[in-house]
This record gives sequence, C-alpha cells and structure tokens, in this order.
Amino acid sequence: MAGVHEFSIADALSTQVKLHAPAGKRVREVEIRVGALRGLEPEAMRMCWQAVTLDTVLAGSELVIDLLPWTLTCPTCGRVWDSPVPFADCVCGETAPTPTASDELDLMSLTVEEEEGSEVDAGANPSVAEKAS
Amino acid sequence: MSEPANTTRVPIVERVLEANDQVASTTRAELERRGIFAVDIIGAPGSGKTALLEATLRALKGRRRPAVLVGDLATRRDGDRLARWCDQVVQISTGQGCHLEAGEVRDSLAQIDLETVDLLLIENVGNLICPVGFDLGQAAKVGVFAVTDGDDKAAKHPYLVQAADLLLLNKIDLLPYVPFDRAAFQADIRLLNPTVPTLDVSATTEEGLDAWLAWLERGTA
Repeated sequence: MAGVHEFSIADALSTQVKLHAPAGKRVREVEIRVGALRGLEPEAMRMCWQAVTLDTVLAGSELVIDLLPWTLTCPTCGRVWDSPVPFADCVCGETAPTPTASDELDLMSLTVEEEEGSEVDAGANPSVAEKAS
Repeated sequence: MSEPANTTRVPIVERVLEANDQVASTTRAELERRGIFAVDIIGAPGSGKTALLEATLRALKGRRRPAVLVGDLATRRDGDRLARWCDQVVQISTGQGCHLEAGEVRDSLAQIDLETVDLLLIENVGNLICPVGFDLGQAAKVGVFAVTDGDDKAAKHPYLVQAADLLLLNKIDLLPYVPFDRAAFQADIRLLNPTVPTLDVSATTEEGLDAWLAWLERGTA
C-alpha cells in the first residue's frame, strides 16, 4: 500500500507545482519538506514523482525530499535527540522515551531554468518548451 | 548540487494537500452548520469496520438519524451490508485510490438528504496509513485495531494513533484464542498519544458497544 500512498501525494504535488511554475520556464527541481508522522518512503516517493510527471512539462524534474526526523525526549535523564524511528532506548537505559513528530507536507521551493537554459534543453525534449507556456 | 548558473530558486512554502484541505474545510463548516457529527473511521482491511458499523446502526435505530459513506476499492458489498440497517448509504468506489479524499466525500453528500441526518459515519478504505493524512471535513477520527492483527499495530502506525480522537480495539471476544499483549498495545498508544481515549469492543458479541455508542451520542448531543 505504501506505493499507492506516495502516488496520490505525488499526484497532488504535480498539480500544485504546475500552478506555481513560472510560465515558460522549465522546472529542474522540486523541494518538499515532510514530517516523520507522514511515514513517507523517499525512494517510493521519487519513483511515483517520475511516474506522474512522465510526458508532462515536469518530466525530468528532480524531487528533493527533506525528511524531518522524530524527536525523542527521555523522561528519566531529560536528553532530547533526533531519531529516524519513534521507538528507541536512551543511552541512560530508559526504554520508553517520548516520541514526537510533525505531520507537515509542504512544497518548499521550485528551481527553474532561466530563458537561455530552456533553449539548451529544447533540443533534447522539444515538447517541454511548448507545453510550458 | 552543481546547479548551472542559469537557474533560479523560487520559494513557495504551501501545503501539498492544500486543495484537498480547502474542500474539507468547506464540508466541515457545512456539516457543523447543520449540526451533523461526522466521524471518519480508519482501520486495516479485516479489522471489522463494517461489522462494527452494522452493530452500531442496528443499535442506533430510533435513537439517532445516521447516514453512511463507505469507501471501497472495487465492490459494493460493504454498502449493501450497511443498507440493511440504514436508509442513507452511499458507496464510494475509489478504484485504485487507497483512501477517501475530500472531493469524494463532498460529492457523495449531494446524494444524501442532510436535513434528516444528525450523524455521518464515514467508513474509509481499509488501510492504516494513507487515509490519516487526508482531511475529509470530519469532526472526529476514529482508529480501529483488531486483536487478530497483533499487538504491534499501534506502534507501527504512529500517525493514526496521534491523529485519532478515539481508538477502538475490536474483536475482543477473540482474546482467549490469539496472542495479544494488551499491556504492550496500551503502552505503545500512551507513548505516542497520552490523551486519546481507547475502548474495547466486539462487533460480534456487542461487548463494549455501549461505551462506543455513548461516545457517538455525546458527539451528536
């Protein structure tokens, strides 16, 4: 199921990116920030991004994923640290640190090519320059 | 990253599911205006969501005026089961979609006579992951776990545990027959969400059903 989960997010993201992309400029990079609660698999997400952008103006754009970690707080010694997983022991021996994480899922930025760049790439993928306008 | 000099970074900062969330907000406002308590019920396939709703609808007959939206990948079976107990059931076939989205709920509500309803039960597609992040316009999210699924399911689905307004542990009539460590299950939930209420139920024997019905009735009061 994980793959399908990422697919619908990639689909929503592609619609959003097309809305924000400056007219006539090719999108090179799409940066998103994702809280650990979302349980997003970066590899699956990148594959889904490739699939939903195939044959669109966003084809070939790179998805950059800033995955935010869990924060664990130890109730015994007070240590606070980042963790990729919600359940982990503290170095002090405490077995039940408190896990917290965010559920944000935000489009942070687009990196777009300026005019000269579009011309360079137009040869490799002529449809891109036309569709982007 | 070796970017060529001819690129520009355009800052945006906007929620990816903004479009879905906007539709959900409109739905929520409309349901609140009408005094309809909407509950999004999320659980794994086979956790007993439909059986629980059957028992719920049977018990609420004459006490509340429910309508039901049922999300399913392909079949109409769940909708047909629930239609025996409730006049207003809309089946939403999501096709490939692993969760309901706000637009599907909004469109399905057009098929319901909302004037005659005070409780909207939304059975999401059987899945513990995807439905959690998609706002439908509900007033409350309910997570359904089953003892037959194992005691590690809460720990493996932290988003649902943190986002839920109520967690149900279903099929407790089967506790004598399956390995299920209730203390470990509860401890995981408390670490992830210290305040969420939890209820034990059996849709089959109706044990614990009264507390669940009371929770629903408080929402519609």
